[in-house]
Amino acid sequence: MVIFARFKSFWLGTLSFAVLLVLWESLVRLGWINPFLTSSPTDIAVHFVRQTQSGELSVNLGVSLLEFALGFGGAVVAGILMGILMGWYRLLEYTLEPFVWFLYSAPLIAFYPLFVIWLGLGAPTVIAITFLFSYAPILVNTASGVKTVDKELLRAAISFGARRSDLFFKVVLPASVPMVMAGLRLGVGRALLGVVVAELFGATAGLGYSINYYGALMQTTDMFVSLVVILVLGVGFTQGVAMLEHRFDSWRVGHEQ
Amino acid sequence: MADSAPKAGRDVSSFSADSRWHKPVVGLISVGLFLAVWEMAPRLGWIDPFYTSAPARMYSVGLEVFQSGELMENIRVSLVEFCWGFALALLAGIPLGLLLGTNATARALLDPLVTALYCMPRLALLPVIIMWLGIGMESKVVVVLIGAVLPIIVNTMAGIREVDPNWARAAVSFGASRLDVFVKVLLPGSVPAVLTGVRLGLGRGILGVVIAEMYVSVAGVGHLIVTYGAAMRVDHLVFYSMLVSVFGFAAVTAVGKVEERLQSWRGD
Repeated sequence: MVIFARFKSFWLGTLSFAVLLVLWESLVRLGWINPFLTSSPTDIAVHFVRQTQSGELSVNLGVSLLEFALGFGGAVVAGILMGILMGWYRLLEYTLEPFVWFLYSAPLIAFYPLFVIWLGLGAPTVIAITFLFSYAPILVNTASGVKTVDKELLRAAISFGARRSDLFFKVVLPASVPMVMAGLRLGVGRALLGVVVAELFGATAGLGYSINYYGALMQTTDMFVSLVVILVLGVGFTQGVAMLEHRFDSWRVGHEQ
Repeated sequence: MADSAPKAGRDVSSFSADSRWHKPVVGLISVGLFLAVWEMAPRLGWIDPFYTSAPARMYSVGLEVFQSGELMENIRVSLVEFCWGFALALLAGIPLGLLLGTNATARALLDPLVTALYCMPRLALLPVIIMWLGIGMESKVVVVLIGAVLPIIVNTMAGIREVDPNWARAAVSFGASRLDVFVKVLLPGSVPAVLTGVRLGLGRGILGVVIAEMYVSVAGVGHLIVTYGAAMRVDHLVFYSMLVSVFGFAAVTAVGKVEERLQSWRGD
């Protein structure tokens, strides 16, 4: 029954995608919508192949991925370290909390021009924006993972003679892994957003740059090529981290509901 | 405040009792210290004020742009764009989320599409939207809409599905109709999750309006940010950047507080 339900939902999902593409293509072919504004799936496929063969796509993809890796990688390292400290030392938590929540909820892109003044136009600014976009969710989730470790576990460890360092390394750290993973899942999407948006505003290469460039030339089809790649990256990254999160879910120690 | 109940395991770091005022006081002191350092560092010659401006200058800039009318006029433009977009996102997102949460066929059909859009950085569509709708208000409204609507849909859907099925069963065995179950069990049960969606959507929407205005526009706070940035007028730039950031922070925090209060509506 369950398998049938899954099977059914898989096919219905594929069907809706297919219908959408066919509809898009046929509306353009019938002349009901202007391909100048919307392009069409077959045109996008053709341009995708052309951009791949000319090497243009791989250059832009490579630049974006590198910026993503540096910005997000930095956020992961710094976010987890700082999150652990904030979860462990309450005074530090109280001191930094206003800034962290500011970082989490403010539209940080507003500081983009300031970063351009500080770091210049191009990769360093893109990496900084990517870092800032994804840092807060990782930090917040790590801190709350460290903070909300089950008290019973700690008490049990203490009764068996655990020292503070044992508590930290053998109980608190492993128990907070699932929350850290949740933070990574939230962060990865925001990091990709940071890369793309920062590249839209000012860069010399990258997927966001390519969208901006072809947008200025009104070449819709080439814009859509980059958009499709970004869509695939977004789904791939998020699902990848979600799978990782799922794997570590068994590390979650909580009360059974 | 809803923080009266201590969370499980709240006392890892130190085992001393913690008084209620400890947290806000420490927070205030640290923000105060930050502002003091920001103000004093350029004066002491540690950093070049050209790159950082200073809090005291924010005040004079704020006064100047308020008196010239620049501030209010541009805030009005940005707010109108944001409110239209966000209202549309609520109007479209909540019903769609309710539909997807209650109807399995609709979910199977639309879920892959919703998930794909939810995972992608939708602001990448900005140049396409500008091409379709121009550089005026319409494009900003749509950017806010697509930014905010997906978290609202996804969380509303999840909220409906998270409602404890035992509640619905209990209601049915006491004679509730399908409509009763929907209106009296599923709807109230999903309110906290809907609010989570609203909070996330709010953040995305504010980010959307700022980015869209920064990308290309003729008015609005985002427009001013880019203009002052290009002119390297750091005082004005920092003033407006802080303004939208504080606004975003305040709005998201406010919804977060309401959400926290309604946590008890979540069935566990």
